[in-house]
Amino acid sequence: MSLFLPMWLLAAAFADDSQQRIEQLEKRIALLEERLRQLEAGKAPAAALAPRPAVTPAAIATPVESAAAESRSPVSGYMDFHFNKDRVEQSPGVLDFHRFVLLFGHSFTNRIKFWSELEIEHAFVEGREEKGELELEQAYLDFLVKPWLNFRGGMLLTPVGLINERHEPPAFNGVERPFVDTVIVPSTWFESGAGVHGDLGRGLAYKLYAMAPLDATGFDAGEGLRGGRQKGFQSITERPAVTGRLEYRGVPRLSLGASFWRGRTGFDLLSVNPRVRVFEFDGRYSFSRFDFRGQFAHTGVSQAGELNRALQRRTGVNPNVARAMRGFYWESAARVLPRRWPHELALFWRYENFDTQHRMPDGFLPLKQFDRTAHVFGATYYPEPDVALKFDYTILRTRSQLFGSLHTVNLGMGWWF
Amino acid sequence: MRRALFLLAGLPALWGEETRVVRMTAERFVFTPSQIKVKRGTLVEIRIASEDTNHGFHIPRAGVAIVIPKRGRGEAKVLFRATETGEYDFECSKACGAGHTQMRGVIVVE
Repeated sequence: MSLFLPMWLLAAAFADDSQQRIEQLEKRIALLEERLRQLEAGKAPAAALAPRPAVTPAAIATPVESAAAESRSPVSGYMDFHFNKDRVEQSPGVLDFHRFVLLFGHSFTNRIKFWSELEIEHAFVEGREEKGELELEQAYLDFLVKPWLNFRGGMLLTPVGLINERHEPPAFNGVERPFVDTVIVPSTWFESGAGVHGDLGRGLAYKLYAMAPLDATGFDAGEGLRGGRQKGFQSITERPAVTGRLEYRGVPRLSLGASFWRGRTGFDLLSVNPRVRVFEFDGRYSFSRFDFRGQFAHTGVSQAGELNRALQRRTGVNPNVARAMRGFYWESAARVLPRRWPHELALFWRYENFDTQHRMPDGFLPLKQFDRTAHVFGATYYPEPDVALKFDYTILRTRSQLFGSLHTVNLGMGWWF
Repeated sequence: MRRALFLLAGLPALWGEETRVVRMTAERFVFTPSQIKVKRGTLVEIRIASEDTNHGFHIPRAGVAIVIPKRGRGEAKVLFRATETGEYDFECSKACGAGHTQMRGVIVVE
C-alpha cells in the first residue's frame, strides 16, 4: 500500500500537470488562430502583432469545422421578381420587380446594435403618383441586457403572424405571400415604437412593444386594416397600441406562436374612436422531407357602424368596414429530390379561407365577394438554399354569385444574400 | 494550424476525457436550443446545422466567430470549455434576414 501511494500521487500530479498543459495549449491555439485570422484579413492592428503578455480568458472556444471563410458583404438583402397573369380575364401578363430590399446593421458594442431594412417596392418611385414605394421597414437600436430582457426602439416590424417577421423569399412557398398575411394581417406591417423582447428559456421567446396605432380612416371592405398602416410617416401616437408575441421553439423543427395587437384607431376622427383587436395563432412543423405550416387570424373592430357612417360623411363613400374579419390557411410541402443532391425541389399546396366581411355591424350587409377561398399549388426549386425559383397556380373563389373564380399563373425568382 | 486543430479535436479521446456533444439547429431567427447549461471545465462540442441560409456563431467572451454552412451543406463544430462560471452569450454574426439581431442564446456555466 505504501508503495502504491507515491505512485498514485505521482500519477495524479502528472494528470493534473497534463490537464493544465492541455488547457494552456488550447488557449495558445485559440489566440494564434485569432491572430492568424486578423493577419489573413489584413486588418491586424499593430498592437495585435506585437508580443503581448499572456492572457487567461474565462473560456476558450475553438472552431473545428466551419463553412468556407466568412464572406461578409457590406450589406445584405433580398429581391423578389414576379410574373403574374390572370387567365380568366385574358389580361396581359405583368412583370414586376416586386421587392428590392437592403439590410444594414452595425454593432456599437456587443450589447448595443443597430439593424435596418430599406425596401423599394415595384421598382419605381415618383412623387404624387400611384407608383412604387420606398419604405423604411426597420431601423432600430437593440440594447441587450440579459437573454430574457432586452430593449428595442425605432422602426419595428409588428410581431404578428408567420410572414411579417420572416418574409425573405426563400423562406416561404408561393410567388406571392399568403392572402391571410396580406389582408387579415397586413404584412409588411411596420411602425415606430419601442419595447422589450427576450428568451425565457425552455424554448419560449417573447416580444412586447408599444407602437403607433393604425388609422381607421384607411380601413375598407376588401383589404380590411391594410390601408390603416401609418408606416412610420409622422405617425400620430395619441394613444399607443400594444402588441406582443409568444413563441415556443422547445422541440426541434416545431414552432408555435401566438400574437396580438390592440389599440385605438380613431385619432383622425372626431365622433368615433374604434378599438381594434387582432389575435393570431400559427405553427410550423417539419418531419423528414415534409413541411407543414398553418395560421389563424381574427380581427375585431369596435364601433364599426359609427366608423362607416363617419367615413361616409367625410368621403361620400361607405367603406363597409366589418366588425369582425378572420382568415386561416394550411400549407403542406414535400421536398422530393434525394437528400444527396445539391438542389432541392419543394412541391406544395396551400388552402386559404379569409373573409374581411365576416361579421357586420347592425345596418350593414356583408359584401360576399370579400368572403374568399384560395387554392395555391406549385413548386419551389432551390438551385442553392438562398435562391428560390417559384411557380404557382392560384384559384381564388368568392361566395358572390356576381364574381367568377380567378385563376392566376405566377412565376417568380427570389434570392437572399 | 489544421494539424493542431485536429490534434485538439482528438485530445479528449486521447486522454479519456469525456466530451459533451450538443447538437444545435440554426434557423431564421433562432438557435435551438438557445440555452445550454454545462459544468465548469467541461469540454463541450457544439455541432450546429442550418435549416436555411448561412448563419454565424459568435461567442464574444471566448473570441470565436464561425460560419454555419447552409442547409444540406454540413455542420459547423466548436469546442468550448469555460474555466469560470457565468453566462456566455452567443449570437448569429452573419446577417440572415429581417430578424437577425434577435438570433441569440446563452451558455450557462455552473
